[in-house]
Amino acid sequence: MRTLIIISILSLLVGCVATNKDYTKFNNAKPSSILIVPAVNRSVEVTAPDYYLSTISIPLAEQGYYVFPVNMVKRLLEDDGLSDADLVHNSPSEKLASLFGADAVLYVVINRWDAQYLLFSTTVTVEIAYTIKSKSGETLWEHLQKMVYTPQNNSSGNPLADLIVMAVSAAATKAAPNYVPLAHQANNATFRYPGPGIPPGPYGKLRISQQNNSTISE
Amino acid sequence: MKRIKVWLVVFGLLVIVGCAPQTKYYWGGYDNKLYHHYKNPADYEKLVENLAELINQAEKVDKVPPGLYAEYGFALYEKGDLEESQIYFKKEHDKWPESQALMTKMISNAQRQSNKSAQLKDTSNEKPLALVKEVTQ
Repeated sequence: MRTLIIISILSLLVGCVATNKDYTKFNNAKPSSILIVPAVNRSVEVTAPDYYLSTISIPLAEQGYYVFPVNMVKRLLEDDGLSDADLVHNSPSEKLASLFGADAVLYVVINRWDAQYLLFSTTVTVEIAYTIKSKSGETLWEHLQKMVYTPQNNSSGNPLADLIVMAVSAAATKAAPNYVPLAHQANNATFRYPGPGIPPGPYGKLRISQQNNSTISE
Repeated sequence: MKRIKVWLVVFGLLVIVGCAPQTKYYWGGYDNKLYHHYKNPADYEKLVENLAELINQAEKVDKVPPGLYAEYGFALYEKGDLEESQIYFKKEHDKWPESQALMTKMISNAQRQSNKSAQLKDTSNEKPLALVKEVTQ
C-alpha cells in the first residue's frame, strides 16, 4: 500500500516537472502577443503544415498570451505572395512583428510527420522545432519536441502517459495514420510550464471580467 | 485490496483534476474546425458557420478566446460580407488591446473594399489587401 502511494506520487511529480531553460531573455522581453506564422514543412506529408496550424493556437492562448488568428494570418500572408512558409521564416521577425503589431513571432518547423509500417505495428512520428523571436529579432525561447507512437509500447510506467497513448492509439490506425493527436501531444509537452514551455503571459493569472472587457487581477 | 482500489480511484481523479485543468476560454473545438477546413477547403460556408456557432457559445459563458472575433470577421471578409466583417474586427479590437494595430488596418481595408464595391459592384479581381508586401524586401 505504502509503496503504491509513493509510486503514484512520484509519477505525478515526474509527469509535471522537466528540465528548466534560461528564461532571462524571455522575461526581459515580456511579450504579450504572439504571431504564429505558417509552419515550414520538412516532412514528405504535404498536408502537415495546415493540419499542424490548427493545433497550435489553443496551448499558447491558454498559457495567457494574445494569439493572432492563425488562419487569418496565413491568408493575409498568402494574399501578399508569401504562401511559401520558407520565405516567411526567412524574413526578419522585426518586420513581421511590426506589420501585425505583435510582440513576438513563433516559428514552427515540422521535421518529421511520418508513419513507418512494420510487420506487426505502425510507428507514427511527429517532430517539431519551435522558436519564439522577439520583435527586435532576438531568439527568446526554443524547443525541439519529438513524439513517437508505437502500439507495442504497452506501458511506459507513467499512468498519465499511458492514458494519452491510449487516446492517441485510437486515432493512429494503420489505414490512415492521423498525426493530429500526436501534434497536440507534442504541443502539450512543449508548452508545459514549469517544464520546457514558456512562462504564463499577461492573461495567464488574470481573469477577464464579465461586463467591461477590462482585466482585473486575481 | 479494497484500500488499494480506493487509492487507485483517488489517484486517478488526482491525475485528471491535476492535468486536465479547466480551460481559460471556450474553444468549442476551434482546432477541429480549422482542421476540417484545411481538409475540405472548398466548403468555406462551413467554416463561417462553425465560427459563428463557436462565438455564439463562447459569448454565452463570456469566454471568447483571443483571435476568434478576428478569425470570424476575416472569414466574413473573404466571403464578401464586408459590412458584417467590420463588426467583428471592431469586437476583437475592443476586447484585446494587442489586436488594435492589425484590426485598425483590417477595418479600414474592409471599408475601402466596401466603398469600391459600392462604386464598381465587382471586386472579384481585387487583391484583398496589401498588408505585408514589404516583409521580404
